[in-house]
Amino acid sequence: MEYLLKNGIVFDPKNNIDGEQMDIFIKDGKIVENVSSDAKVLDVSGKLVMPGGVDLHSHIAGPKLSIGRLYRPEDIRRGIKPASQEDISGFEAGFSLPTCPTIGYRYTKMGYTTVTEAAVPPLEAKHAHEEINSIPNLDIPTLTLFGNNWFMLKYVKENRLDDLTYFISKWLKLAKGYGIKIVNPCGSEAWGWGKNVDGLDDPEPHWNVTGREVITALTKVNERLGLPHSVHVHTNDLGHPGNYTTTLETFDCIKDIKKNKNVERNQTMHCTHVQFHSYKGTSWRDVSSGATELIDYINKHNHLTCDIGQITFDETTTMTADAPMEYDLFRLTGLKWANKDIEVETSSGLIPSIYSKHAPVSVLQWAVGLEFFMGVTDPWKIALTTDSPNGGPFIRYPKIISWLMSQEKLQDMLNNEVHNWAVNRTNLGTYDREYTWNEIATITRASPAKILGLNDRGHLGMGAKADVSVYDIDVENFDPTLKNNSAILENKLLNSKYTIKDGEILVKDAKIVKLVKSNHIWCKVNGLEKEEEILTNRIKPEFNKYYTIKYENYGVNEHYIKPETCVDIEYGGVICENN
Amino acid sequence: MVVLFVKTINLKMIKSSSIALEFDNVLPELLYDKSLEDVKNTIIFHGNKKEAVSDYFDVNITGKSDIPDDCEIIIDGDLSRVKRIGYCMSSGKIVANGDVDFHVGACMSGGTIIVNGNAESYAGREMTGGVLRIKGNVKEFCGSSYAGDWRGMSGGKIIVEGNAGKQLAEYMVGGEIIVKGNCDILAGVHMAGGLISIDGTINQWVGGQMKKGTIIVNGKLEEMLPTFTLQEIVHNPLICGKYYIGKYELYSGDNGVKGVGSLWLKK
Ligand SMILES: [Zn+2]
Repeated sequence: MEYLLKNGIVFDPKNNIDGEQMDIFIKDGKIVENVSSDAKVLDVSGKLVMPGGVDLHSHIAGPKLSIGRLYRPEDIRRGIKPASQEDISGFEAGFSLPTCPTIGYRYTKMGYTTVTEAAVPPLEAKHAHEEINSIPNLDIPTLTLFGNNWFMLKYVKENRLDDLTYFISKWLKLAKGYGIKIVNPCGSEAWGWGKNVDGLDDPEPHWNVTGREVITALTKVNERLGLPHSVHVHTNDLGHPGNYTTTLETFDCIKDIKKNKNVERNQTMHCTHVQFHSYKGTSWRDVSSGATELIDYINKHNHLTCDIGQITFDETTTMTADAPMEYDLFRLTGLKWANKDIEVETSSGLIPSIYSKHAPVSVLQWAVGLEFFMGVTDPWKIALTTDSPNGGPFIRYPKIISWLMSQEKLQDMLNNEVHNWAVNRTNLGTYDREYTWNEIATITRASPAKILGLNDRGHLGMGAKADVSVYDIDVENFDPTLKNNSAILENKLLNSKYTIKDGEILVKDAKIVKLVKSNHIWCKVNGLEKEEEILTNRIKPEFNKYYTIKYENYGVNEHYIKPETCVDIEYGGVICENN
Repeated sequence: MVVLFVKTINLKMIKSSSIALEFDNVLPELLYDKSLEDVKNTIIFHGNKKEAVSDYFDVNITGKSDIPDDCEIIIDGDLSRVKRIGYCMSSGKIVANGDVDFHVGACMSGGTIIVNGNAESYAGREMTGGVLRIKGNVKEFCGSSYAGDWRGMSGGKIIVEGNAGKQLAEYMVGGEIIVKGNCDILAGVHMAGGLISIDGTINQWVGGQMKKGTIIVNGKLEEMLPTFTLQEIVHNPLICGKYYIGKYELYSGDNGVKGVGSLWLKK
């Protein structure tokens, strides 16, 4: 099928197209130079055209979601939309924990085509991939949790970097994972002993290994293997006043590790939901923003990218492999709390979270997130996230965009809506930046795609994947800087005019018109087969001793991941020819 | 006599069903300005099928109203499989002459519902305002939260003239519930506000894990939780603006959750 998207106003930061009126040609699922006269013409004159949205950190599939849905039926009852006969999509339900199909419907309607599931323990990977099979219309890479894995800890302790390399390479294949995720390294493992670690150099009680050692070892391995994405780090001490120093140390601890020369990304580390890691002070009474120091570091260094984890003032659900932190939240709020142990891989926890405009701490967190948006000068270093659903559900991205594009709106909130800690305890009030459409396209498309190392998307250059979103926004005449336009802007961005993925129209005029199966994106390293086999044979007895399942039943079989996009790389980072 | 309601919609059941009928569209605020034809065609769900009010009820209308508050809906017949009567209602009046099914008055925020019969579980759960009066008994979870939530009834008033079932007012955060009869176990558990007054005999585990709020037992309490402590004995106490005649013991708890709720017990 061929399409001609006619006369749209195109924002494609990677190819330096900043609001030009132009045509986009689509053929066989790719962006092409030209199409035949048979092409179907879609007149999008004057409308906002961007590459399909890319979310590099969200929680959309796996046991955390299932636990959440089971223990928060009250959340499932929110956001119910009955199925209608005109719609090919089914009913929607859930707010912070939507049903699997609802996740697909809502992302697609927002113009997103790629969404990363950011935390999958290998033991639960089958579960995650099965849930992906119930989410329609997206491309979904999963990040595999390694930061508290016993085999990893053992290799780090014994300084066996080669074995760790083979282990990661093999375990990504078993979990059908795309990249390395590290969550509260050593802290989640310490939770198995009822403890946490305090900062980067506090050793985990059983293995006597520190977060610093884990992060540096895994970063070295990541660059050795040449994975398309860097290590994806949720640093220690999340949500603790005073944690910004730990975050700074983490930023700094890998700066001398050389980036693999074959990868396109700039960073050797991606720090996720940095907002939650940027507080000064010693308690929730004297807490204040530590964003300025961190922003300064990010602006001065190039080995690092981050996403924000913006707070959106909702009643949402926090879910993370950082189980001791969830226990802290439980002690703070007394709300119902779920805790799960994933054997020798990680722990995890959930708790409802209510962010209110009148609660000083929520407002501080909200303002810290916005400080990063305002303060990091290069939009290619950040990506828009809410750590969905931790800071707020992903359907709030358009709302965040409406804040970023209008100082009038933001100042109005600071002056009239939110608690005074936003002004008194952060530097948010000192910024007067307003995002342009080009910058919005960067932090929601181009930058996350580049950070992830998915170079076939996030832009509309020749040969790129034909993932395009068109919004019913008349770019020339619509002024996003006006406060009165914020609600309109949010609504238009929630309901795309067209969402096109792989050259197929999935949404037309805010209605889903086609449902396709989601793609499982994973990364396969070639060239270490022999080493992996030797290592696996050594691991097996230990594995069968410590796990409740047999090694033979552990990996995710091929039939779980249909359809798939396997990113094949040679050991060392060279992308294979057939890609 | 003063005529309070100027429009009366009379629904007389002509066909009963073993599968529940969902009545959440039959509200004064949705029907006060509707014609006879419109009321007859109002959608009610019968299981997963959309059907019309007139498939099950004879409809009669007298009078006219310009605002929902001037509209009264009277429902007659075997309503024991009619669910969600007055669900999310905000104004006007509904009278149900018969036993009603689950969720009567659930999530209501205003207006009045009178049930001349018994009510199934979840009567008035999560209600925020208005008055729900039940002439018979209620089953479980009256005035409570719904599955999963920790915020139950937060406003308005429920009067139960008969007996109440288990977990009355679970997670209640505000409003008032009066039970004239007896009460089953676990009344007021997890309560965080509001007032419950029970005239009859009440079983064990009253106020378990309550954090705040007031429970008054004017009848007999069979077994007090050990995590409540006696504070004082008061004659004719004034509780939430009303005098209660007789000698009352005031307990505070539930100490197990550092609660500061008040439990008044008539001696
Ligand atoms: Zn996350």
